[in-house]
Amino acid sequence: MAASGSEHATVIPGGFTVLSLKFREEDAAAHQLCVKEHRIRSEKNINRPQDRTLFILNIPPYCTQSVVTDMFQQFGPIESVELCEKPGESKSSSRNLSKHFRPPEKYCFRVGYVVFKKASSVTAVKCHPQSSPLIVSTKERPVKTGIHKWIEQYSQSVIPGQTLQTAVDDFMNEFDRQKKEEEVEEKEQEEEEEEEEGWVKVKKGIRGIKVRPHSQTANEKTLQKEKAKSERKELVNFYSWQHRNTQKEHLAELRKKFEEDKQKIALLRVQRKFKPY
Amino acid sequence: MKKMRKKSVLPEAQDYKMESPDPSQIEEQDEKSVKVTKGPKRQAESTVSDNGVLQPLKMSKQELYKAPTVEEFNQLKEAENLFHCNLLKMQMDELLKEVALSEHRKNLLDFFVQQITHLLHTVPKSEVVELEDLSWLSGVEVPIRFIPKVAKGKFHMEPPESINLVGSYPLGTCIKPQVSVDLAVTIPATILHPMDAINQKYPQKRALYLAGLVQHLMSTKTVGSLRYSCLHGNRLRPLLLIKPRGKDSSSVTLRVHAVPPPNFLKPSRFHPQKNNVRTEWFTGVADKQQAELSEPPTPHYNSTILGDHLPLSHFQFLSANSTQCPAFRDVVALLKVWLRQRGLDQGAGCFCGFHASMLLAYLLSTHKVGKSMNAYQLFRNVLHFLASTDLTKNGITLAKNADTKAPSIPEFHMAFSVVFVDPSGHLNLCADMTTFTYKQIQHEALLSIKIWDDPTVDCFQALFMTTKAMIRTYDNVFYLSELVKLQASCKKLSLLNELMDHSGNYVLAAFPFILSLLQQGLGERIHLLAHSLPPDPEWSVDSAPPKHKNQPPLCVGLLLNLQHALCSLERGPPADSPKATEFRQMWGSRSELRRFQDGAITEAVLWSGSSVCQKRLILREIIAHLLQLHADIPGSCVRFVGQLDSLITVDKEDSTTGEEESLKVIQAYEDLSRKLWQLEGLPLSITSVQGAHQVIRCTQVFPPVPVKLDYSFFVGEKNPVGLMPKADKPCPYYITPIKVIVHMEGSGKWPSDHLAIHHIKAAFHVCLGELLNKHHKYRYHAKPTYLDVWKDGLAFRIHVAYHREPQILREALTPEGMLIYRDNPEAQSLELETQHKPYLTSTLHGLQQQHGCFGAVSRLSKRWLASQFLLEDIQEEPADLLVASLFLHSAPFDPPSSPQVGFLRFLYVLSTFDWRNNPLVVNLNQKLTAADYAELKNDFVVSRESLPAMFIATPNDKTVSVWTKEAPSVQMLQHAVMLAAKSLQVVQAQLVDSSLKQDIRVVFRPSLEAFDVLIHLVPKQVPLLAKAVDPPLVTFQQGVFKGSATTERALPIIDYDPVRLYLSELREAFGDLALFFYDPFGGTVIAVLWKPKAFESQSFKTTLMNARRVEVYNDVVSTVPNVEAILQDFHLIGEGLVKTVELRTEKWVI
Repeated sequence: MAASGSEHATVIPGGFTVLSLKFREEDAAAHQLCVKEHRIRSEKNINRPQDRTLFILNIPPYCTQSVVTDMFQQFGPIESVELCEKPGESKSSSRNLSKHFRPPEKYCFRVGYVVFKKASSVTAVKCHPQSSPLIVSTKERPVKTGIHKWIEQYSQSVIPGQTLQTAVDDFMNEFDRQKKEEEVEEKEQEEEEEEEEGWVKVKKGIRGIKVRPHSQTANEKTLQKEKAKSERKELVNFYSWQHRNTQKEHLAELRKKFEEDKQKIALLRVQRKFKPY
Repeated sequence: MKKMRKKSVLPEAQDYKMESPDPSQIEEQDEKSVKVTKGPKRQAESTVSDNGVLQPLKMSKQELYKAPTVEEFNQLKEAENLFHCNLLKMQMDELLKEVALSEHRKNLLDFFVQQITHLLHTVPKSEVVELEDLSWLSGVEVPIRFIPKVAKGKFHMEPPESINLVGSYPLGTCIKPQVSVDLAVTIPATILHPMDAINQKYPQKRALYLAGLVQHLMSTKTVGSLRYSCLHGNRLRPLLLIKPRGKDSSSVTLRVHAVPPPNFLKPSRFHPQKNNVRTEWFTGVADKQQAELSEPPTPHYNSTILGDHLPLSHFQFLSANSTQCPAFRDVVALLKVWLRQRGLDQGAGCFCGFHASMLLAYLLSTHKVGKSMNAYQLFRNVLHFLASTDLTKNGITLAKNADTKAPSIPEFHMAFSVVFVDPSGHLNLCADMTTFTYKQIQHEALLSIKIWDDPTVDCFQALFMTTKAMIRTYDNVFYLSELVKLQASCKKLSLLNELMDHSGNYVLAAFPFILSLLQQGLGERIHLLAHSLPPDPEWSVDSAPPKHKNQPPLCVGLLLNLQHALCSLERGPPADSPKATEFRQMWGSRSELRRFQDGAITEAVLWSGSSVCQKRLILREIIAHLLQLHADIPGSCVRFVGQLDSLITVDKEDSTTGEEESLKVIQAYEDLSRKLWQLEGLPLSITSVQGAHQVIRCTQVFPPVPVKLDYSFFVGEKNPVGLMPKADKPCPYYITPIKVIVHMEGSGKWPSDHLAIHHIKAAFHVCLGELLNKHHKYRYHAKPTYLDVWKDGLAFRIHVAYHREPQILREALTPEGMLIYRDNPEAQSLELETQHKPYLTSTLHGLQQQHGCFGAVSRLSKRWLASQFLLEDIQEEPADLLVASLFLHSAPFDPPSSPQVGFLRFLYVLSTFDWRNNPLVVNLNQKLTAADYAELKNDFVVSRESLPAMFIATPNDKTVSVWTKEAPSVQMLQHAVMLAAKSLQVVQAQLVDSSLKQDIRVVFRPSLEAFDVLIHLVPKQVPLLAKAVDPPLVTFQQGVFKGSATTERALPIIDYDPVRLYLSELREAFGDLALFFYDPFGGTVIAVLWKPKAFESQSFKTTLMNARRVEVYNDVVSTVPNVEAILQDFHLIGEGLVKTVELRTEKWVI
């Protein structure tokens, strides 16, 4: 283990500071969190400002968003906390689903991005010594695990039908509205195009090239049809060379089967499969 | 701190402790073998790789299209025309090569035979003594028991008249592994007297002569060991077994037969209707009046004496035949292998290689087969003849020009049950064979022909390579032990004449009568009654022959006819008909007069038993009753094999094994389905309601039972939605949700966006629930993904499905604007749930209707898988398919009709199937044709590398094996195969040998030796605790009563299993570091195995930091798992559920 003073923070090569994390004050073993300021050259995510964001590795599964917020509050006010399974990715919740429809979260170790309000908080975290661990569950805000957690989970999963119905209705209204908007937009666009002196532009396909169907299955079907057509035109066993060829093919087929069988036998012999008892 | 893995040392295999090999070792081994396959590509020619995987065959064009030679052309033509499967011919050739004797061994044998012959010729002549005087023998016992000791006569030793090789060795039909060479030693005529045939005097002299030979041989040093045996279990025909010295001693035996000079006695004296053993002599009681008039015929004794006269002439006859027919030797060798695999070639009343040769000679002489036929054709014809000819009714004879004194076929039939007369016309070759053995041979031949005709079966494996052990072949098997009791049955059945005929062998005398008694009593309950052949005893030359009562137990096997086998009523004739007395006599006090609903008053026997499980015991009851009543055999002598039912017992009080419960659930499901169809007011109509749960195909290990709720046990009685568990109480009763898929009709109203479809489905769930509640007052709970309905004490989980949804999930647009379909896991899993699962469920339900015990076999098998922690790898559906294959492709057996035999075959198939080179094809509903099979196998070979380790193909799923795509891995499959092999061995040993007083449950107790950490759970929180393999004495109140209430106040807790939640959290958190194993049926321990790879020190990466800690050494950062914290997390995550975490640190250290 790297030399770590009781007062100094443990910094490992690579720039990460090692913090320790305990579930309860009295626990013997501790997890190690590795933290660093978030710095990526081509970061486009506006939710993770470079100077104020802390990047945390190895957050145990029982640390939810709120727990992480509580733990890091001691270093300064927090703007947002984001937890994800792998570094880099950000949640793609393009549509805001109601909580019943969200896919369940995986109960695994995660990485976190904590955005502080001030940049100084990040440095404060980085100077935190390893010897004083962060505590997940305290008396003031206990964190439930095990049986208690599962009972709570079960209770929360039981929802009355009306609640579900309203959630569905909300979503569908929104969905229908979007659809309608899209339709209107499309129409407008068409109209726009049409308005140019009343001419309609004919799309799809350039002259000389056959128009292919628009879906894969239809495409396959037409291809098959074409093939069948060309096959029908061909004469089978008409010329003597064709006849000879089919015989040759037949012989080759037999030979191949024979060889295959021989191969199987060889394999079985290797495996000693011919000892009856 | 460092984690080190010591080499795990497994304790020696102690008696029958279950041994599971260390899975991690397997893993390591396998990684190696995987590497081998990924190695450099091999040349096209040597396509068989070292690790035994078939590679697709590549042949160059030149090779394929070159001009054929005449020889090759003929070979190919023959392969095409003669054999429906060329492979079989080649396999047979290989088999013959395998069993044939090598030249080296032949030379050794010839030398040895010469030596012995020479030795025997030098037997010194001895003085004439009285027959009773045995003083000239020292250290050698006579290999025969003198029953009545009074026998007068003279005896002396003299060198044999001649010594000849006979039997299979000179014929060239001798096969490995038990090579025995028959040597016929002719007793000089001076020793014998023409009247010796009467009253066993000749057999005694013969035995004495053998003893004399032994005494002479013992004085020399060339022989290895000398033992006595007897020919086909006939105690009057002792043999001398000589083994050479040295390393060949185990595999080579010289059998010395002592025979009289040819034509010493007139064959006509041994007509089956003549008597050669006098009652007075045998019983020792003078009964003058009876004696002269009607001495009973002694056909078996006669054929014994006669048989001794004929070995030389039989041998000449056979060698003449074998020189005529070139394939003679090969066919007999094949037949011997075939017979041996079926256990028919040894013991009293066997059908051995000699009989097979004689049969072939018969077929040749009657021109039923041609001389120039090849082995394949001849073998098939022999089987066909056996299958179609009933020698118990129409005997056959090899005698050409009938001797006028020879008995006729009907005369033979009167004396013997199976008739096959030898070339002399006097001897019945099948004298000792019982009707039942012949029926068994017929059955086997018929089955083999059927297998042969089926192009989809690997017939070579089924015909020659599979050993049909009694216990795996027959549905019910029982053993008759304490054979001394058969003496009493001889008395009871008044079999004095038979006893005399068999010269006091009460086992052989009584056994056929007992068997026909059972056949009569069991009637149409069984298809076939088969029995093991009493084995040939072997004993040392210095001890007396073993007594009859010391024989190993006799084994009887039954093939059940499930239509009638479980009938609890045996209806007899009307009370006033003459047959009624017969019926009463048959059943004794159990027969009662009964009046039936149709008004008839008949004799009847009613056996007890209401559930299927109890009814399975009816056969035992019948057998025990009949044996006690008619043969004086007490129940303690009859040992029935099988105690496995208790493992899947659902209700101990009613002693049911789930058949009734499953049926009840299916009825409830059908009722629900009807009600769903009748619902009105749905925006779209229902197009199908399909069950997609195992219980609906009767294969749920413990089917759900209707329950009533104890409201005081739960929280939230007032809650309109449902009850909640209480933290301080034990875990509530686990209510299994029964999955039902409801398809809604397609319509333009369905959106084409998958999220929207998801929401619409949720709306349907709410809507269906409300309607069901309105019309039928069912409690319900709608969720986005399903709808739970509480009906008659059972929970149904309804999933609404839309048939186009998987397709919509697959849709994608190319840049050119073309709609293409990309397969993705989401769509696949949806398809699996909504299409494959319901289809499989209904198909297997159909199978259950055809084969009554499919469900029970499947449940027992899955119970085993679960108990060995395998059910999560070989999941429910593949396990069901595997069991289904036992019924659909049972060759070379019949489809199982009892849970036990099905389970044994399940273990057998799992452990012996070549998963690496073959797909397991389950031809559900017979939809696949031979062409499909070929195509399927070719595809399999071509893309083996990318296919799952366990490949199960069905008619609907020929290329993917949807059920085994994720699991098992190669390692786990290998682990499962090994466990199955070991378990099979243990179970069979237990079932066969009653002296092993161990519990059959040992194979259901997993070995925990190999694991690194054991997490012990609080039993109170394990919902299925009562279903454990070893259920605890104290069970906990779980908030339910038996029986179903009509109206419930609230919805119960459905599908809440803390152990499963704990496991899934563990796997999500630590899946990269360890494997977790658990028995879902009441296990109280979770076994953890570290993954060795994860414990190697890795360099620091942001993507590889989970649950690890850093170590800095020389400015290089590496990470290792933070084991202490992980172990603490095991506790934390399962707080309230975990009792202790036991570290098995003998294999690793922190």
